[in-house]
Amino acid sequence: MTAPLHDTSAESPAPVSVADVPAKAIEGRSPGRIAWMRLKRDKVALTGGVVVIFLILVAVFAPQIVSLLGHPPNEFHEDLIDPDLGTPLGSFGGMSSDFLFGVEPTNGRDVFSRIVYGARISLVVAFLSAFVSVTIGSLLGALAGFIGGWVDGVISRIMDLLLAFPQLLFTIALVSVVPNSLWGFSGSGVRMGVLIVVIGFFGWPYIGRIVRGQTISLREREYVEAARSLGAGRGYILIKELLPNLVAPILVYSTLLIPTNILTEAALSFLGAGVKPPTASWGKMLSDAIPIYQDDPAYMVVPGITIFITVLAFNLFGDGLRDALDPKGS
Amino acid sequence: MLVYLIRRLFNVVATLLVVSVVTFGIFFAVPKITGSDPALMYAGRETNETALAGIRVKMGFDKPISEQYLTFVKGIFVGRDYDGGTDVTHCAAPCFGYSFKTEAPVWETMVDRMPVTLSLALGAAVIWVIAGVATGVVSALKRRTAIDRTVMVGALAGVSLPIFFTGMVAPAIFVYGLGWLDVSNYRPLTEDPVAWLNSMLLPWVTLAFLFAATYARITRATMLDVLGEDYIRTARAKGLKEGVVIRKHALRSTLTPIVTMFGLDLGGLLGGAVLTETTFNFQGLGTAAVAAIGQGDLPVIMGVTLLAALFVVMANLIVDLLYAVIDPRVRLT
Amino acid sequence: MIRRKQAFAITAVIAALSLTAACGGSDGKTKTEGKGGAAFNAATTGMVNPSDAKGGELKLWSPQDVDYLDPARAYYGFVWDIQRLYVRQLLAYDSKPGKDGSKLVPDLAEALPVLSNEGKTYTLKIKDGVKFEDGTPITSKDFKYGIERVFAQDVLSGGPTYLIDILDQGQKYPGPYKDTDANKMGLKSVETPDDKTIVFNLASANSDFSYLLAMPSSSPVPQAKDTGATYTNKPVSTGPYKVESFTASKGATFVRNENWDPKTDTIRKGLPDKVSFTVTTNPDDMDARLLSGDIDLAIDGTGMQQAGKNKVLKDEKLKANADNPFTGYIRYFAFPTTVAPFDNIECRKAVIYAADPKSLQTARGGPTSGDLGANMLPPGIPGADKSYDPFNLTKGEPQEAKAKEALKACGKPDGFETTIAVRNNRAPEVKTAESLQASLAKVGIKVTIDQYDGKLSSSVIGSPENVKKKNYGIIVMGWGADYNSGSGFLQPLVDGSFIQPNGNNNYTMINDPEINQLFKTAAAAATPEAAAPFYTDINKKVMEKALYLPINFDKAFVYHNPRLTNVYFNDSMGKIDLATVGIAAK
Repeated sequence: MTAPLHDTSAESPAPVSVADVPAKAIEGRSPGRIAWMRLKRDKVALTGGVVVIFLILVAVFAPQIVSLLGHPPNEFHEDLIDPDLGTPLGSFGGMSSDFLFGVEPTNGRDVFSRIVYGARISLVVAFLSAFVSVTIGSLLGALAGFIGGWVDGVISRIMDLLLAFPQLLFTIALVSVVPNSLWGFSGSGVRMGVLIVVIGFFGWPYIGRIVRGQTISLREREYVEAARSLGAGRGYILIKELLPNLVAPILVYSTLLIPTNILTEAALSFLGAGVKPPTASWGKMLSDAIPIYQDDPAYMVVPGITIFITVLAFNLFGDGLRDALDPKGS
Repeated sequence: MLVYLIRRLFNVVATLLVVSVVTFGIFFAVPKITGSDPALMYAGRETNETALAGIRVKMGFDKPISEQYLTFVKGIFVGRDYDGGTDVTHCAAPCFGYSFKTEAPVWETMVDRMPVTLSLALGAAVIWVIAGVATGVVSALKRRTAIDRTVMVGALAGVSLPIFFTGMVAPAIFVYGLGWLDVSNYRPLTEDPVAWLNSMLLPWVTLAFLFAATYARITRATMLDVLGEDYIRTARAKGLKEGVVIRKHALRSTLTPIVTMFGLDLGGLLGGAVLTETTFNFQGLGTAAVAAIGQGDLPVIMGVTLLAALFVVMANLIVDLLYAVIDPRVRLT
Repeated sequence: MIRRKQAFAITAVIAALSLTAACGGSDGKTKTEGKGGAAFNAATTGMVNPSDAKGGELKLWSPQDVDYLDPARAYYGFVWDIQRLYVRQLLAYDSKPGKDGSKLVPDLAEALPVLSNEGKTYTLKIKDGVKFEDGTPITSKDFKYGIERVFAQDVLSGGPTYLIDILDQGQKYPGPYKDTDANKMGLKSVETPDDKTIVFNLASANSDFSYLLAMPSSSPVPQAKDTGATYTNKPVSTGPYKVESFTASKGATFVRNENWDPKTDTIRKGLPDKVSFTVTTNPDDMDARLLSGDIDLAIDGTGMQQAGKNKVLKDEKLKANADNPFTGYIRYFAFPTTVAPFDNIECRKAVIYAADPKSLQTARGGPTSGDLGANMLPPGIPGADKSYDPFNLTKGEPQEAKAKEALKACGKPDGFETTIAVRNNRAPEVKTAESLQASLAKVGIKVTIDQYDGKLSSSVIGSPENVKKKNYGIIVMGWGADYNSGSGFLQPLVDGSFIQPNGNNNYTMINDPEINQLFKTAAAAATPEAAAPFYTDINKKVMEKALYLPINFDKAFVYHNPRLTNVYFNDSMGKIDLATVGIAAK
């Protein structure tokens, strides 16, 4: 495993709770409002957010964008390729006004179109697998922290165990043993489904640990004790008192999990365990570039920069969101 | 202390057992479910029934899965004999079986590949810990200066760059562009130390850059937290010099989460730095595992997975023991 | 033809001169004629750097390990090439450039076999003075024993089994290890009337039998030295070199065999003092070492990686040491007729016409990856005609109008859906599948690409049942002949009697009585030349049925160290013949 997946876990934000709202707030401003005001001031985070929204729009309107500015993503243009070397004719990987990002070596497919369509795969897998992680992680983490005892013991053990698994290897292995058609789906749909489930599944312990820790620390707070002394039941405390205070850290970590998942999806595609050809994917483009990047560096640079910008935008936005929600921040 | 150690070791063994059962289950049972025959995988292009029957008996594929698993585990500790009726092949402990593809003993393959992964992971680890922690501390102490901002922007870029991209950009610039380094494939340290260093330099830097970025971010954040703690204020109030406060008090607590991370990261990398090895075309444990998965080479997958898990749990254990040294508040009970 | 040769000779001289200057010069007197110097493709037509200089270590590398060193078990083409160094057979392919290289000449036998009994009995005499590496003379019994070992498939799996098909004749001979005969000489169809004579009794005439006698699996093995399954670690040598050491997935070294008498051998030169074989896991590294002169030859013969190849193509000096030989393989798409709608010939034709041959060639790596495919009999095999091109594939353009017409005739004017099965470990094959997918989409044929584990091809696409189950309408594959005859290439592909439940190669499942009969007729012919027209006929029938879409006549891009002498590509192997290669004196 090369990508440090737990990057986000150490900078755990302090719990956000109604009780922590600074006393100087004279008008009754909700924590959400305060966070939004802070976020508005954070230009860097906002830039990240704008780029994220732009990327989402690109993914949604991929067909329209490509029909305006590109060529169908699976159309071959071998006339643009040097047949002996397999590299694009012309400089910079065959970039031109017709082919904005150049053409793919060997078959001359439009790199621009494939980048645009690749955004769909990347974002869908990243968002949905983050959703899977967050759902399992929050649920089990909150349970472990709130109930404690043997439940906590079992859940914590499972989390430890999952963290000890060589995850990337397991993901590749699981993805490659799943058949081509499953439950009536076939082709790239199945692969995407498997990627989402597997990436999501291996991601939940990170969220689970954080939620568990938060729950434990919140559990002993005065306001919870107050509720308890007033005779509130366990379920009431969990749902009415604890959950609202868990929303902020969960939100922050979901935002920071998405870029990690984008990198993981790219890594899996890079290693050949991603969506199937001819579906475009950024990671696959990078692995296709390996044997030829000495002769045609452009084909490596374009998807590489794309991944970089995407992940960076999500990270900037996530960092900003965390700072905004951190009550200790100024 | 002793009781703690025993309990932890027990945990290690339990974890490894679970990992091995799950791995074995997935990789040896799946072919049964999907209807492919491990004997066929082993045989490769040779598919006549007589040969297949021979392989089945010799490799033990005719036995139930649970029995195959037990034989496998036994093989690791005491070795095993592959009895083909007319010929017996002895596989000495630690026996992880034979590769379906190359028919080489899996243990030998792993021992072969280990120096590559070890060179890569250890070398990069030294670089990233020093660079990451140092820049993180400086950044925290010079909070909100130009230095801080530059470091943090660089670090954020670092964690956002996929290594399989930087791993191509680095040689493209330094080897093919500027010509500072030679085209380099892994050369063993024992064969030629200079060539080894030359071949390791770019992979180290690329891999370390990624981790250093993470470490710098976390060091900075933790350091800032720690500097706000009461005991630091107390230490300063006592009139201690700032340097002493930082070195003796702040740095020590900052190191705790770093050590945890370092253990997990290094443990994970030792089991195979898959992406770095693939990008640089290094033949380490990671590439061995990926190739094995692609070819359905079950024994190799099994061996590398177990080894990787062993590294992770052992690293965790060592880290926990180290806590007691670094952080006086931690008592091992 | 003659004119072309002369023009070629001139460029060769120029290239040779520049080369001599470049690497300090090899022995000047070795180049007595105009030909013989290095130039691009020179080794595919003639002997490059002829020399008799002895000595040096020949360093062979390969990204692929040998399957077995045991002659009965080896099946990889490059291992057969290596085996020319240490095992000899009764007959062998001559070590001469051009067409002569695919001709059989006597090796351990005194002369070519004498046929009697209407071509059913083969009698051969063994040369005087031929010995094993320990000095014991080779007798006819050693040959018989070596052949008997092939029957012990439970212990010695891996090698070709043609000999069992022909020599068992209903005996169900279990191999020497389970032989009840006291001398382990129980195989009835082979007789050894005396130590010098060996007689093979066939059930029916077979013009290909001589080719089987030239395969490594027909090598003599001394019974006393046979160690069964472990014989592969130290097979007994009969050639100029013997196995000094062998480690699986690492490599092997071969040293001189003092008991090899060059006077008994017209094929091998035995020039280097030592031959080492190293397995690498990194083909790009291998290419780099090759170009730096660190090693001599990538013996696996599949050619350079893209990065290395492009480097050589851009550098004329390096290019002079490279060749682009035909490998004997045809890359093709096969259409299983058991999978709808490929049961309909018109649908098969639609795919063939819709394909873009030029695009497929580019996908495989451009013109250096092979000539555009035209039919299903590779040039070099008697009866082949490279210009026979019934579907106009060599024009290199998709024929959409014809494809649409064929679709209409098939009753699917709007196209159909199907699946291409392709090995996941062969990048060029995946790329050709993507190319076909793109071309077929233009005529409305929607294709899903299924990448399966290439290691399991014998049970994935080799199982007709699985092919049907998975709906594989199109299969990407490549095929080369085991021996240089039309049956060696075509029979496993199109003879209905070769259909097997596992490890099947007749992917189209064609079982046509007329074609099957033609194979029998061809086998009964007296000589390979006489059999040739029948194979021409089979090829025609197969193409008319539109069962295959040939992609190319496969070529490899091979670079060799300029210090090598007597370099030429043997026609029967499509590889540089190790029997002649030596190392230039410094």
